[in-house]
Amino acid sequence: METPTADDLLQFRDYSATNSGTPAQINVNSPTHATGGGAGGAGGGGVNYNGQRQRGDPLSDLIYDMSNSAQNIIGGGGNDGSGGANASLGSADGGGTAGGGARLSFLTIEYYQQFFNVDTYMVLERIVNSMIPKRAATNYLRMNIGENPDLYGPFWITITLIFSIAISGNLASYLQQADDSYHWHYNFHLVSYAASCIFLYANILPAILWALFKYSLKPVDATDAVETDSASYTPSLLSLMCIYGYSLAIYIPVSILWVINISLLQWLLVITAALLSGTVLIAVLTPALRNSQYSLFLIIGILGAHIILAAGFLLYFFHSPPEAAALAAKTTPAPLIKNILPKLSTQAVAGDLPPANLTN
Amino acid sequence: MDSRLDMFEDVNTSPSLEGDMSIPGKRTTTTTAQHGVPEYNTLDEPIRETVLRDMRAVGIKFYHVLYPKEKSSLLRDWDLWGPLVLCTFMATILQGSSSADSMSDNGPEFAQVFVIVWIGAAIVTLNSKLLGGNISFFQSVCVLGYCLTPVALALIICRVILLSTQTHFLFFLRFVTTTIGFVWATYASFIFLGQSQPPHRKPLAVYPIFLFFFIISWLVLSHN
Repeated sequence: METPTADDLLQFRDYSATNSGTPAQINVNSPTHATGGGAGGAGGGGVNYNGQRQRGDPLSDLIYDMSNSAQNIIGGGGNDGSGGANASLGSADGGGTAGGGARLSFLTIEYYQQFFNVDTYMVLERIVNSMIPKRAATNYLRMNIGENPDLYGPFWITITLIFSIAISGNLASYLQQADDSYHWHYNFHLVSYAASCIFLYANILPAILWALFKYSLKPVDATDAVETDSASYTPSLLSLMCIYGYSLAIYIPVSILWVINISLLQWLLVITAALLSGTVLIAVLTPALRNSQYSLFLIIGILGAHIILAAGFLLYFFHSPPEAAALAAKTTPAPLIKNILPKLSTQAVAGDLPPANLTN
Repeated sequence: MDSRLDMFEDVNTSPSLEGDMSIPGKRTTTTTAQHGVPEYNTLDEPIRETVLRDMRAVGIKFYHVLYPKEKSSLLRDWDLWGPLVLCTFMATILQGSSSADSMSDNGPEFAQVFVIVWIGAAIVTLNSKLLGGNISFFQSVCVLGYCLTPVALALIICRVILLSTQTHFLFFLRFVTTTIGFVWATYASFIFLGQSQPPHRKPLAVYPIFLFFFIISWLVLSHN
C-alpha cells in the first residue's frame, strides 16, 4: 500500500484496514470470473476486466466501486427479465455481489437472459452509433458496450443481413436477365453461402482480435498509478462480438440498394459503406488499440477484413450472373441441345456460382 | 393427529373420487376444473369422438387465426397439429424438383422449408423468452405455426394463378396476394404474442416475427 495519509483521506469506508483481506463477498478474483473470458454477465464486463487489476490501488478501487454501485442502482431498476441473479445485486456491494450472485448454470435460461438485457432504444442507439463515425463517446467500448454487451443486436443483424443479401442477389439476377427471355428461377444456395460467410466473419474475426489484443499488450509501467487501469484494458470477447455484429448493420440497406444494376453506383456504395463502418470500428476500438504493441497492423487488418468482406459480397452475389446469362443466351436458341445436355445447362444456368466466378 | 385423520377422511368420502371406472358416457363434475383438462371420462368413448374433438379444436384455432378477435383459446389449449399440417403442405408445394428438366425451378427442398419453419419458430420463441417474455415455449410455437394460415392461403392462390401463362399483371397479382398474406399473418401473431412482452421491448420481440413471416412469404412469392 502507498502512503497512508493521502489515501486515508480518500477512503470513505470504515473497514479500510482490512482492505487486503476483504471478505469473500468482494471476491473479484474468484476463479469463475477470472477465467471467464467471454462469459460475463450484466456486471460481468466490469468483473472481467477487473480480474486483471491489482486490488491494492485505492484510488482506482474507489472509482471502480462507486461507479459499479451507481450502475447497479440504475441497472437494478432496469432489469426486469434478467432472472434472480441480477435482481440480487444490491447497491451495497457493487461488483462483489456481481461475482457472488451471478453463479447461474449455463443450462438455465436466466443465464442467457443476461445477454439480452437491452431495450428498444438501446438497440437503435447502438445501430446508429455503428453507422456514424465519432458519434459514440471515446469510452463507448468500455463503459457502454463493455458493461452491457448484448447478443440480440449481433444475432438478428447477421440473420437479416444473410437474408437481405440472398433476396437481393436473387432479385439482381432476375433483373439482369429479364430482357434475355431467360426463365428465371430462385437460387436457394445463395442463402447457405451468405450464411457461412457472414457467420464466420462475425464470430471468428472477433475471436482472433480478442486473442491478439490479449497477448500483445504493451508492458505497463507500474509507477504511473492512474494510467495502469486503462493501459492494461483489453476488451472482452463478448464486447468484440457485439461491436462487430453491430458494424454489419450498415450493409443491410446497402445490399438492398445493390439491386440497382449500375456498376459505378454499386462500387461507390461498397466504398462508402466500408469506409464508414471501418472508421467507426477503428474509432470505437481505439482505447484497446492504444494498449497493443501491434496497433498499426491491427488497424490495417481490421480495415482490410472489412473491405474484403464488402467487396466479396458485391462480386460474389451481384456480379457473376452475367456469365450465366451469356451461357443461357447460347442455350436457349437451341432447345434440342438443351434437352440432350440438361444437367450441364442446369448447372451452368442454375448458378453454380464458383465456376462462373472463377471464369471472371 | 386427529385433525389429520379428519382431513384424510374428508378426501376419501368426496364424491368426485369415488365410483366405478366403467361409467359410460359423459359425466360432469362440479369440483375444480382445470384449463385444458377434459371434464369427463374419455376412457370409454369411441375413437371417432376423440378424433372429432381434436379436429374441432384445431378447426377453432384456424378460425381464430383468420379472425383474430379472441386471444385466449390459442394460447390456453395449444397444440401442434395445425402447424404440422400447414408446414407439410407448404413444403410439399414449395419444393423445387431437381429433375433433368432445365425449365424447372431450383427452389428450396422439402427439408429446407421444413427446417426454416420449425427452427425459425423455435428461434423466434427463444428470442422472445430471452427478452423476458412470459409465454411458454410451445404456446409461442403453436401461435406462430397457426399464423402461417394466411400465408398458406396465399400460396394456394398463387399456385392457381401460376396455372396460366405468366404476364406482368399476373405477377403483380401474386405479389399483392403474398403481401396481404404476410401482413395478415404478422398482424395475427402480433395480437396473440404482443401482450407477453414488456412494453419497452415489444418492438425487439416483434421484429423477428416479422422477419420470419417475411422470409416465408418470400419463398411463396418466388415460387414459380
